[in-house]
Amino acid sequence: MPAKRPATWDREVDVIVLGTGGAAFVSAVLAADQGAEVLMLEKTHQVGGTTAFSGGVPWIPLNRYMKEAGIEDDRESAITFIKRLTQGKEPDPKFIDLFVDTGHVMIDYLHENTPLRFATPKGYSEYYGHLPEALKNGTRSLDPEPFDLNQVGEWGPLVRQNPVFPPLTLAEGGAVGGIDFTKIAERMENNIVTMGRSLIGSLLKAALDRGIDIELNTPGKELVLDEEGKVIGVVAEYNEEKIFIGARKGVVLASGGFEWNQELIKTFLKGHVTHPMSPPGNEGDGLIMAMEAGAALGNMTEAWYYPTMQDPTFEYEDHVMNQTGGGRMGPNSIIVNKHGNRFAHEGTTYNDLPRSFFEYDPVALEYPNEAPNWMIFDQQLKDSQMIITMMPGEEAPEWVDQADSLRELAEKIGVNADGLEASVARWNEHVENGVDPDFHRGTTHFENILGGGGNAEANLGKIEKGPFYAIPVHLGALGTNGGPRINEKGEVISLRGQVIDGLYAAGNAAMGILGHVYTSAGGTIGPAMTMGYIVGKEVGTKESREIKEAEALAL
Amino acid sequence: MPNGTHTVELQVPIENIWNFVSDMNNWAPLVPGYIEHEILSDKQSTWKFKGDLGFMKKTVKLQIDIQEWLEPSKVTFDLKGLSDNFTGGGYFEAVKISDTATRMTGHLDITAGGMMGAMINTILKNFVPETAEQLTVAIAGKINEIEGVTV
Repeated sequence: MPAKRPATWDREVDVIVLGTGGAAFVSAVLAADQGAEVLMLEKTHQVGGTTAFSGGVPWIPLNRYMKEAGIEDDRESAITFIKRLTQGKEPDPKFIDLFVDTGHVMIDYLHENTPLRFATPKGYSEYYGHLPEALKNGTRSLDPEPFDLNQVGEWGPLVRQNPVFPPLTLAEGGAVGGIDFTKIAERMENNIVTMGRSLIGSLLKAALDRGIDIELNTPGKELVLDEEGKVIGVVAEYNEEKIFIGARKGVVLASGGFEWNQELIKTFLKGHVTHPMSPPGNEGDGLIMAMEAGAALGNMTEAWYYPTMQDPTFEYEDHVMNQTGGGRMGPNSIIVNKHGNRFAHEGTTYNDLPRSFFEYDPVALEYPNEAPNWMIFDQQLKDSQMIITMMPGEEAPEWVDQADSLRELAEKIGVNADGLEASVARWNEHVENGVDPDFHRGTTHFENILGGGGNAEANLGKIEKGPFYAIPVHLGALGTNGGPRINEKGEVISLRGQVIDGLYAAGNAAMGILGHVYTSAGGTIGPAMTMGYIVGKEVGTKESREIKEAEALAL
Repeated sequence: MPNGTHTVELQVPIENIWNFVSDMNNWAPLVPGYIEHEILSDKQSTWKFKGDLGFMKKTVKLQIDIQEWLEPSKVTFDLKGLSDNFTGGGYFEAVKISDTATRMTGHLDITAGGMMGAMINTILKNFVPETAEQLTVAIAGKINEIEGVTV
C-alpha cells in the first residue's frame, strides 16, 4: 500500500524524479528550468539507467539535424509512417500527433540549453526502408556526438558502464564500414564516450549545472499519498533506512521497465522474457508504486524485444551478459526451433523477430517456437562475420556447439535431426533459386541496412561448408513497454479515469505511447525523451502544494 | 604492453617463502577471480579465472609454462590464452634481506592480440597491474598467516 503522510519529512523538494535514464534526466532538467527544486533518486550505484546501457539514439521526426543535413521530412509523412506500423493498436492515437509535434521541439530545447549534441548518422537509413511510407533519403535517428566524460568530474566513473557498445558513434560503429579498434582504444584512454553514455553524460552535465541533486543507491519504495489521494512524496531507502521525501509539485516515475521482474513478466507479457538486455535494477518499481496508487495501466503486453545470444564468459553485474549476437541476417544461416524447422524471416528487426516465438499450435497444443531457438550456420559465415564475440579467422570457442554434420549437430543441441536436415536442404534450394518463398529473406531493408537493403546476394547463402555451428537464440528485451496509463501531460490516470494529482510517468516506466512499434533506431528513446520533456515542463510549472500535516502547520 | 610489478617485504625467511610459493596448489586460490587450475606437468599448468574488468567480468582460460626455476629465488613463466587471444608472462622473485626478512616481487605482463587487441590492451592497462598487486599482497598475507607474523 502507498505510505501515509509522515509527521515530518526528512526532506522536501518540489519535484522528485525516480530514475536517471533519458526520460528521467530530460524531465528533471525541464522541471528545473521552470524554477523547480528537483531531486533525482537512482536505485543502483550508477547513473544512466537503460539509456546509458543503450545506443542512446532518439528517433525524432522533423529534427533540426536532419534539416541541417538536407534531409526532407514532413509532419504528415511521419504520422502516416507511424500509423502504418501501429496498425491502430497504439494505446491512444493522439499520442502519435503529440510525439511528432513535440519531439523536435524537445531536441531544439536540449540543443539550445544543454551540452547535448547530435548528428544525423551518415550512411544510415530507416529500419523499415522497404515500406512505401518510410523515409527514403536518410534517417530520423539521431546519433549523440562524442562527449568528454571529464566534464562531469567525479561523476564520470559513476555513469553506467556500457559493455554492449564500444565508444564509437552509430556512424563510426559500422555505418561507414567496419569498426576501428584503435579509435576505440584512444577514446577509452581519454574518457570520451558515445552513444548511451554520451547522451547521459551530456544530460548529467546539464543537471549538475542546474544544481539538481542526484542520490545513488536510493530506490524509491513507496509513494506517499495524502487523504485525498494526491501523491505528495516518496518513501525512499538508503542503507536500509527509510527516508520520507516530500514533493511539493509532484513525483515523476522514470525508473525503467520491469524486464528483470519474472513475476511481472509472467503476469503481463505474451512471451516469457528470460534474457533481458538492460541493467538488472529494472524490476518494475515504478509500476508497482503506480499500481498501489490506483493507476490504470496501458500497453502492458508489450516489450522492446530482442533475440538475445550469449557468450557465457562475459558477465555484467553478476549475470551472464545478454548480447546482440549477430549473424542472423545471413547469408549462411537460419534459425530453427526444437523441431528443426524455420519459422520466420530471421533477419527482421530485433523487435519483430521475437514475436514469432509466441506462436501457439492448437493441434499439437504447444508453443513450437518457444525460446531457446537455434541459429544454425556454417564455416562460411564463421569466416566472414563477427558473431557475438567470435572474430572471423579465430578458432570457435568451446561454448559454441559445432559438428562436422548437421545430424550430429542436431543431436548435440537436442533439435530434431530430420527436421534440421530437411530445413537446411530446403533453404539451400531457395538459395539456389535466389528467392525464399517461405519467409522472404532478402526482401526487407533492415537485414542489410548498411548495404542498401536486403537482397539475395547479401542475405541468401547456402549452409553447406562444415563444420556447422549452433548458437541458442533466447527471448530477450531491451526493456518493457507498458506501465501506468498517462495523458498528454504525462499525468498518471487512475483506474476510474481521473488524474492522480502529483504523479507523472515517462519512458519505459510508463505506457508506451506508440504501442508495440519500434519505428527505427531510437524508437524507444525518442518517445521516452519526448514525454520526459512534456512531464518536466508540466510538473515544473505546477502550483506548489502544501504537503505538511495540518497539525504541523498549526504549530 | 600492459604490465605490473608489485613488491612487498615480509619478516619471513626466504626458504619458508620458497616452500610456500614453489607449490602452485598453495597459492592458486589466491589468484584474483580464481576458478580452477590443473597441473599438467612440472612445467605446465592450465588455469581458469574470472577477471573483473570493472565494467564487466570475463572468464578466461590460460596456459602457464614455467621457463626458469631458480630455487629459492625466482620462477619465470610464459602464459598464453586458451580461450582468448593473448600472450604474456611474468615472474616471482624473492630476495633475501636478512635471515628473517625477504623482499618478494610479483610481475605480470599480458598483451592481447587479434583485431580487438588495441581495445583490449587499453582495458588491461589497469587490470594487469591491479592483478599483480592483488596477487602479491594475497600471497604475502597468506605466508604471514601461516608463519604467525602479525603486520
